[in-house]
Amino acid sequence: MIELLVTVFSATFFVTVVRTTTPLLFAALGGLISDLSGALNVALEGMMLIAALTAVIVSVYAPWYVAVLSGVAAGAMLGALMAFFHLRLKADIILVGFAVNILATGGTVFALSRATGGDKGTSINLPSKAVPAVDLSFLEAIPAVGPTLKSLLSGHSILSWLGVFMVFAVWYFLFRTPYGLWLRGVGEYPAAPEAAGIPVAKVRAWSLVASGALAGIGGAQLAMFNYIGFTRDMTAGRGFIALGAVLLGARHPVGAMLAALLFGIFEALAVVMPNLFNWIPGEMIQTIPFVVTVLALILFSYRAQRARQMRTLSKI
Amino acid sequence: MSTTSPSRWKTIRNETGRALTALVIALAVALVVILLTSADPGAAFQTLLTAPLSSNRTMGLWIDDVAKLTLTGLAFSLVFQARQFSMGVQGQVYMGGLFAALIAMSPIGATPLAIPVAMLAAMCAGAVYGFIPGYAKARFGASEIVSSLMLNYIAILVVNYLIRAHLAPAGTGQLMTAKFPDTAIFPAILPGTRFDLGIIIALVATFAVWFLLYRTSWGLKLRLVGHNPKFAEYAGIRSSFIMVSAMTVAGAFGGLLGSVFVQGRAFGNLAQNFDGNLAFEGILIAIVARSRPLAVPVVALAYGYLRQGAQLMGIRTDVPTEMISVVQAIIILLVASSFSLPGKKLFAGLFGRKPTSAAAPEAAQ
Repeated sequence: MIELLVTVFSATFFVTVVRTTTPLLFAALGGLISDLSGALNVALEGMMLIAALTAVIVSVYAPWYVAVLSGVAAGAMLGALMAFFHLRLKADIILVGFAVNILATGGTVFALSRATGGDKGTSINLPSKAVPAVDLSFLEAIPAVGPTLKSLLSGHSILSWLGVFMVFAVWYFLFRTPYGLWLRGVGEYPAAPEAAGIPVAKVRAWSLVASGALAGIGGAQLAMFNYIGFTRDMTAGRGFIALGAVLLGARHPVGAMLAALLFGIFEALAVVMPNLFNWIPGEMIQTIPFVVTVLALILFSYRAQRARQMRTLSKI
Repeated sequence: MSTTSPSRWKTIRNETGRALTALVIALAVALVVILLTSADPGAAFQTLLTAPLSSNRTMGLWIDDVAKLTLTGLAFSLVFQARQFSMGVQGQVYMGGLFAALIAMSPIGATPLAIPVAMLAAMCAGAVYGFIPGYAKARFGASEIVSSLMLNYIAILVVNYLIRAHLAPAGTGQLMTAKFPDTAIFPAILPGTRFDLGIIIALVATFAVWFLLYRTSWGLKLRLVGHNPKFAEYAGIRSSFIMVSAMTVAGAFGGLLGSVFVQGRAFGNLAQNFDGNLAFEGILIAIVARSRPLAVPVVALAYGYLRQGAQLMGIRTDVPTEMISVVQAIIILLVASSFSLPGKKLFAGLFGRKPTSAAAPEAAQ
């Protein structure tokens, strides 16, 4: 137990948490935007998976930032596809989302085996690149706190820093710009913005595209930093956990970030625990993020329900 | 079910037409993908379309898939009819498979009771696993989509662990249990193929779900809740009870599928990751069948054929089996969307515009 505490309060654990949280954070922000516009995006998982593979394959031939951008573009295109089928052809958004997920699980294996010449498991024989880490070792020069600061802040992916910025950017967009107000209005009560002449379908379509783009960054981070290279089903439910983070985050970017951080911490625990407790079977440790998601979801929904009941009671 | 009413026939015709259109479009896209990627596209496409009929064995494989697809399609149909998006069939399959295997490997496994008791245990396990997300939604308002998906992952990890550490024969390092005793494995209807009890179970289950949905008051309430929850609430139906019970019953069918998996002649044991993602394909079956239980086996028959063709294409040619997921996604997208109207417009536009656009250059000449 002591060893676990020592590990958890170490700087390396913090770095691991940042690493595991980043993909979840991007996906959760993406899910948040589409959820606020009134379309629950269950395809975050598939979008991340396809973006991860796209980024890996492009990174063989192009610099890392082009690869990340191509992952973003892949996610955005899937978002546009969902928007087309949901808004133009009136298909149920959840079914459309699962169609994207099914396309992703099979399609990535198919594309992977084409790209690697028959390997259906990993992209290990593709020389794919990584997202560079931000080196802040100059912080060490600061007296007293320098070394601690350096070990906490140095060595994160550029995308992790972008993630922190994105939380602010999404918040600013949603709550400080007219377009954010449109988006929230469309999700809250579509008839009102419709009457005010706001193009409801267009707002939803763009929010699905943005949602896909954000999930795409998450996928790129996963396959170009957390792991270098693509493995079959490598998202392993992260898109669905991110969806849980959206529901848990009280429909606010900061809430989504905190929820993503919570799940990131437990995923990081699942990463470090096998070394500490080799008597706990690995499969049981791997269930931790999923168990925590279910429990957190139930607990939070219960509290939200109680709060709603209290409000209606106080009105009477 | 009166089959004489003309409107019903019209609905069936329309729905079949939509499904077939979606299938043709999806196959056309598949053909393009095969043309782009295969060294011998002709052989690959031919294998996809004809291979399941090539021998008794492959036909057995096809029918085996049809039985399983029917059961997962029924489980999804039940929850979809109640407008719940519980995606937990995969977890129920693993739990059902686990409990069926536990019974089959216990002393009961060697007695004639093995098959019914194992099936019952699997259904109970699946029902419990379907109940959890339903209860969490009804009582706490937790999204059933997320919780059921999380439970899927948990079930797979737990079952894989139990197989690796406890159920596999000690010291072999195998990731599956030993074969069950013969009394616990479904008897073959055609010897030497996988044509076994599973297909009969699937047909009985189809009838059972149809009876539950269309001939009991519970089914009527369930369809009402799915159709218009507010109206159902005003009519005095406890929609949360209906919701939870629908997910529980669907869970029982998911569990039954688990038992059909492990006790069928295809396996006859419990192996890691045994479901091969088949459980999720029930979404496609349920959507194309419009969640109508009697249509589920028909859709499963057609889709199972395609699925088996893709498997054989993966084995016999250079096109990977996973190509079929493109077809799956397109079928779901097209059938779920109301594409008939824009589709008709599009066709009208194509055929209406073609002559004029063809005529225009002539006129210019």
